[in-house]
This record gives sequence, C-alpha cells and structure tokens, in this order.
Amino acid sequence: MSRGYKIYALRRVLQALVVILLAYVFTFIVISVLPGDPVTNTLRNPQNGFTEEEITSIVAYYGLDRPVYVQLWESLSRFVTGELGVSLRSGRPVSDLIGEVLPSTIVLALSALAVALVLAFAIGFGTRYLPRRYGQGVLRAFPSLFLSVPNYVIGLLLINVFAFQLGAFRVIDAEGGLATLFAAIALGIPVSARVAEVLIANLDHEADQEYAAVARSRGLGQTRLFLRHLLKPSSLPVVTVIALTVGELLGGAVITEKIFGRTGIGSLVERSVTTQDLPVLQAVVALAAVIFVVVNLVADLVYPLLDPRVRFGDGRSDDRKPGGRPPGGRPPGGRPPGDRKEVTA
Amino acid sequence: MAPQDRLTLDRVTTATVLNVTGLSVSYGPHQVVSDVSFSLRRGESLALIGESGSGKSTIARSVLRLLPRSGRAEGVVDFAGQDVLSLPEKRFRPLRGRSIGFVPQDPSHALNPVRTVGSQALEAAALAGEPSRERVLDAFAQVGLDDPRRVFGSYPHQLSGGMLQRVLIGLTVLPRPRLIVADEPTSALDVTIQKRILDLLSQLRQDLDISLLLITHDLAIAAERADSLVVLKDGVVQESGDTAAVFTAPASAYAERLHADVPALNPDRYEHLRTVPDESEAKIRVSGVTKSFGDLKAVDDVSLAVGAGETHALVGESGSGKTTTIRLLLGLEAPDSGSITVAGEEVTGRTHRDLRAVRRHLQLVYQNPFTSLDPTWTVGRLVGESLDRYRVGTRAERAGRVREALDAVGLSPDLVSRRPSALSGGQRQRVAIARSLVLRPDVIVLDEPTSALDVTVQAGIVEVLLSLQAELGLTYVFVSHDLALVRQLAHTVSVMHRGRIVESGPVKTVFDSPREPYTRALVESVPAGVKGLR
Repeated sequence: MSRGYKIYALRRVLQALVVILLAYVFTFIVISVLPGDPVTNTLRNPQNGFTEEEITSIVAYYGLDRPVYVQLWESLSRFVTGELGVSLRSGRPVSDLIGEVLPSTIVLALSALAVALVLAFAIGFGTRYLPRRYGQGVLRAFPSLFLSVPNYVIGLLLINVFAFQLGAFRVIDAEGGLATLFAAIALGIPVSARVAEVLIANLDHEADQEYAAVARSRGLGQTRLFLRHLLKPSSLPVVTVIALTVGELLGGAVITEKIFGRTGIGSLVERSVTTQDLPVLQAVVALAAVIFVVVNLVADLVYPLLDPRVRFGDGRSDDRKPGGRPPGGRPPGGRPPGDRKEVTA
Repeated sequence: MAPQDRLTLDRVTTATVLNVTGLSVSYGPHQVVSDVSFSLRRGESLALIGESGSGKSTIARSVLRLLPRSGRAEGVVDFAGQDVLSLPEKRFRPLRGRSIGFVPQDPSHALNPVRTVGSQALEAAALAGEPSRERVLDAFAQVGLDDPRRVFGSYPHQLSGGMLQRVLIGLTVLPRPRLIVADEPTSALDVTIQKRILDLLSQLRQDLDISLLLITHDLAIAAERADSLVVLKDGVVQESGDTAAVFTAPASAYAERLHADVPALNPDRYEHLRTVPDESEAKIRVSGVTKSFGDLKAVDDVSLAVGAGETHALVGESGSGKTTTIRLLLGLEAPDSGSITVAGEEVTGRTHRDLRAVRRHLQLVYQNPFTSLDPTWTVGRLVGESLDRYRVGTRAERAGRVREALDAVGLSPDLVSRRPSALSGGQRQRVAIARSLVLRPDVIVLDEPTSALDVTVQAGIVEVLLSLQAELGLTYVFVSHDLALVRQLAHTVSVMHRGRIVESGPVKTVFDSPREPYTRALVESVPAGVKGLR
C-alpha cells in the first residue's frame, strides 16, 4: 500500500470523526433551542405531584440547571465514551433500547439493499440487451418511475395485493421471512432507482468507449462484452451511490416499519418523538450519523483499491483527492495528454 | 465458420481482398458518405485521406461493421467474396479479428482501463483460437515490446501510448488476419513513436502478407506508406489512384490544395511572409531555469533568448518539459532556480498583483480551441474579457478594440454575438488569437495552436499568425511537436529532451544539419511523402 494511500486514508478517517462530532453537537443545539423542556414539563405536571424542592433537586441531579455549553460538554464526553444516557420515559439505558431494535432494522436495510442491487443490475443488463423496443423505452423509464412513487405507496400496494388479496404473507406476523421480503421490496425499489440511473448512464458511456468497439472488432459477443468489459467499470461508481443511499435506507425504514408493523429503529424514533424522549432521539440521530459516515468512509477507502486508475501520486497530488469519485461519480478517465510520458516504445 | 466458407476464402487468394462498391452511409437524415468505391488487393496498402468530417473513419467502421446504431450503410463491401454489410451478425463475427483486424486511433482508450493488458490479451488470443500466455508474450515480443512480462501484468494507464499501440497491433496480427483496418493509428502519438509504429506496420504487413486499409488525415504519411490513395472530402471521393500519380500530379483541386497545405511537403511556403527579427534586443531571456516535481526534473537548467519580432519554437516529445517551460514563462509556476525576464521585467519572484502588469505583455493561445473557450460566453465577451479585467478605455473604445482584433484575425465583426458552439474549429482558434491580441501584447505564447485542427484550417491560422507578426512586430514562443510546421513558421528553435535543451539555433541550421542524435531522430521522423522524393 502506497504512502499516498495511507495519507489519504488517515485524512478521511479524521474527517469522518469530525463529521460525527459535529452532527452530535448540531443535534444537541437543535434540541436545546426547541421550546418546551420535556423534563420540567413532566416534573411540573400536577398529576406527578412533585414539590418545588424535589423538582429543583432532580433538575440539579441531571445538570439541567447549568449553562447549555456545560451540558453540551458533558453530553459530548459521555457520548465519546459510549454512554448514551437513560430514556426519560422508560428509565432504561438508551443503548439497551437501541440494541433491542437495531438488528431488525439492519436485516430490513440489508435485504432492501440486496433487492435494490438485483433490480438495478437486471434493469442495467436489460437496457442493453433486451430488444430495443423494451430495453430502451420501457426499462429506461423505470428509475424515474421508481423515484417518483413514494415508498409508502409501494408498501401499501404490496400489502394490499400480496397480503390481503393473495394471502402471500400475514400482516400480523410482521417479522416473518416473506413479510420481511416484501418490506425490503418496498424500501429497496426507490434505492434501486438511484443505483440503476448511475448504472445505465455508465453502461451507455462505457459501451461508447473505443475499447468496447475494439473488443467487438476482435470478435467478442455482446454478452461477454457486457460481463467482461462493461460491467466492472460501470459498477465501480455504484459503490459510491450505495454509500450515499444509506441515508435513504435508514430514513425509509422509519416509514416502512410503520406500514409493515415492524419494530425497529423506525418505531423507536416514532415513539420517542411523540413522547419527547430526548436522550433516545439524540442517540438515534447520533447513531444514524455514525452509520452514514462510517459506510461512506468505507466506500471512500475501498474505492481506490478497486479502481486501478486511481493513483496517489508524488508530492504534487498529495493534497488532492485521488483522481475520481465526483458525486454520483465517474472514475477518472485516461490521463491528460500532457501527462503522458513517451519514454520507451 | 462453416467449412464451405473457408473454402471460398482460400480460393480467393491472389486477387482483391476488399472491394467496396457504391458505399453510402447516413446517420439519420445526414448522409456522410456518398457512393464511395475502391478496392484493395492482397498484400497491398491503400490510404483513405481526408480532413475531419470527410467520412474516412465512417468508411472504416462500415467495413468493420462497427457503425453506431444510428448509422445506416448501403452498397457493397465485398471482403474475400462475402458482402460484409448483408451478412447476418452470426456469420460476420467469425471474420472479426480472425480475418479483419482493427487498429484504432487512440491507443490510450482502446483497452479496458480497469483490466490488465494481459487478461485482455488472453481474451483476444482465445478468440483467435490460441489462448496461451506464451503465445501472447511472443506476440508482444514480435511487435518490439522490450519487457513483455511487465506489459502483460500492467494496466493500460501504466503504459505509454506507443507501448499500448504496439500491444494493440500485436493483438491484431496474432490471428494472422488478411486485412488490417488502421484508423489514424499514430495521430495520438509523438513523431518519433509515430515513425516506429508505421515502420512496424509496414514490416508486419510484408512479413505476414496482410493488406492494409490506412485511414489518415496526413497526406505525407499516406504518400509514404500506401500503394494507392483515395482522397475524400465531405464523404465524396475527390480523386483516387496510384500513390505516385495522385501525389506528384494531383488532378483534383482539393488534392492539390491538400498537398499545398501539408507543412512537411512545403517547408518554404511562407518564406515571403516571414519577417526579419530584431536581434539587438532580447524580448525574452530565460537563464538557468530549473523546476522539479518531486523526483522528476521537469525543466533542467534551461536558458534561451528570444529577440523582438522573432518566432522561437520549442520542440520535443510529450514529457520533454515544453509545457512546464511555458508555464514558468507565463508565471503560472515558480522556478526552483534561475531567472526569467520578459521585455526587461523579471517574471520570477513577483507578487500576484505585480505579475499582472507583466502578463499584460504576455498572452497565451492554448492548444485546443474546443475546450479553451467558455461555451456560455459570446465571442465579444471572450475577446473583450482582458480589456474589462484591465479596465482599458471606455465601453465604446473596448468594443472598438474587440472589432479591431477580430478583423486582424480575419473574422467578421458580426460574430461578436455568437457563442463558440456556433463556430468551426478554425474560427474558434481565431477567436482565441484575437483574445490574446486585444491587449496589444509584445509576446504571445502559442501552445500547439493548430494541433487540434485540420491541415487546410491550420494553413489559414499560420497565415494569420505570420501577417500579424509582420504588422505588429509580435514575438512568438511557439510550442509544437510538429517539426514540419516549426520549419515553416519559426526563426529559431530549441529542441527539448527530458527537461534539457539539447540543441538550439536557427531553424534551418538545426533541421538541415542536426548535431545531436536526438534532434536527428526527430527530424527523420517527419514523413516526407513518397519514398525516394525526400
């Protein structure tokens, strides 16, 4: 592994840490400027019957009487050591609450991602090798169609058709295999649109490249051209897109879990919002930021290893990002002509 | 391939390999090739010559059946007794590679960038029925690659253009095709590499008895390498026949003009336009300038002096340090050591603001007019930009100077409201020249100003540059890899090699009796037209 890559990797990791901390601070500030303090609201609720002294002592216990920046500092230092606090509603540690629901959401998100990839690559292959009428017209419209239909509509349609009309799965048994599959389809379809868009554009671009024509001129057939030549360069940028869709998967999970009656991060968020359970909300937002940043970090670190063209050069390019990966991105093409060296031939 | 096809192929051995009759190609409603006919005999070579848009590449792609989906070809392309255009895909595919080989224009884009050269070579060898690593390494050695094993394990971007073109030629000849279609096989390469690649093609053609269909814009190359020529313009054949006949006594006006515009064939064409420079005063003085990037010494102890009204050419291959030298001259990079003065003022060690004053006297015309002009700006704004930047005169005066500059480069003032996309390549480069003229600089740096243009367009630009020099006493620093053009245009020349100036002096002296072996190699690489006429 080159020195250039190590410097790049170190820089990305540090950036990622900063982003996570900033996200935490930002959430803290947003929550603290919101009108209505849920703790005092609860305490002052006449039904709970706390006396003024008790209230003061509890508030002091939680440190809520101190200036916001002190609270922020304490909250931040607890977060750094992995301490997420205690739920205001249930009195249980937030990490326990999240730990209970996280696996279910992860299963859903990963299945949705699998669905999205299968669908996207099927569409990508189809746009090139189905007969032109279907491939070009109909399939190319799919990504825009998928993007324009909200995933709750897809979810409701799936439930209506497959659960109620065909009885393929039971809505009550939300965690069953088939139920998970259909939830994953609802969540995965919009994500597949993003992947397919990039994939189709890249396939078109790669198919127009001179090397594709040269490979054909040697007698290579269409299928092998797709599998051996077009697929890899076209799917490299998909790594970036997948990382960017993590946000969509997490956000979509909230709605999808509600519709399909699953317990997961989504249902936890929903409950915490309605009950103003701020420690839980703060922790979930921080968790989402961590997941998003980590996945994108991994994508950034893996990409240069997958694409042989990304180079970490000499002193000149140390300051730059490795060649490619603009958003939605295409890897860097050939070097500019001025850069090419003709030493031996 | 069915056995009877083999038989047909084998029977047609001595006669014509490729016979194109009445070929017309259109993209949608636009017909780009009209009624083209020619034939190529076994073991011979034929060159299709023409400028961009002449349809020469389209013809090549029709023969290979590699036209884009929108392309429609009519007529007959008879290859060894079979009509290529009407064969079903299944029957044509076995001909691809095995009987008809293809060498593309730009080798750096002709291999899959994310797969190793070796894996693609093995794939090609498998299609040719010989999927062995040894066979591929042999083929690489045959085309003169020094280290076949390293090439085998490399990715395309790790090899130079010349090496890649050798790889591609090696893979093309591996199945022993009867015909090779080479589409501008050397136009993306440096001159010395260009010569070696063309020599290699000629050599293989003789050794392996392969016919060659050479597509080129360069009449000198065509004349040197082909037995017969077909001259195309706008998709129509202007003239065709034996090379010596077409070359020495062109019958059509277009072929004659093409001949006159090729710099290699007319070294003294612009003699009457050339001015005598004023040697007493050095406009530009570069002394002992060195610039390194990491371990690479891009410019190594370079010194040169250019007099007022002189055209000084910097020649050398890619990576020789030409571009870095002019970037230093323009103050875009700072030298590690040495000094540069322009019109008596030091360029090095200045602050940014200070440098602006110098830059006013020092303008750049960039290589590629298709990328150097902002497509959203009008011609008037493009040309007038530096006037606005330096707040020269009133608005009316500036508009007047823009018109003046356009007039000086031979463009109509009506063009001020147009955008670059509405202009041709030649017009765009004239706009770029007008843009550099408008501040009335002393020195213009011309970075390969015509390399993206056709020869006839290039001739027009050269005339503009020379008459501007005569009129305004401009000093040019002219960067080029085209030695023939340098011979026509420049007074003095510096030959650069690996960051150093290896030889310099008056153009005629340096080119007619080069002292250094490197200069000699460069000069000898210039195609001189028909063999024996040099």
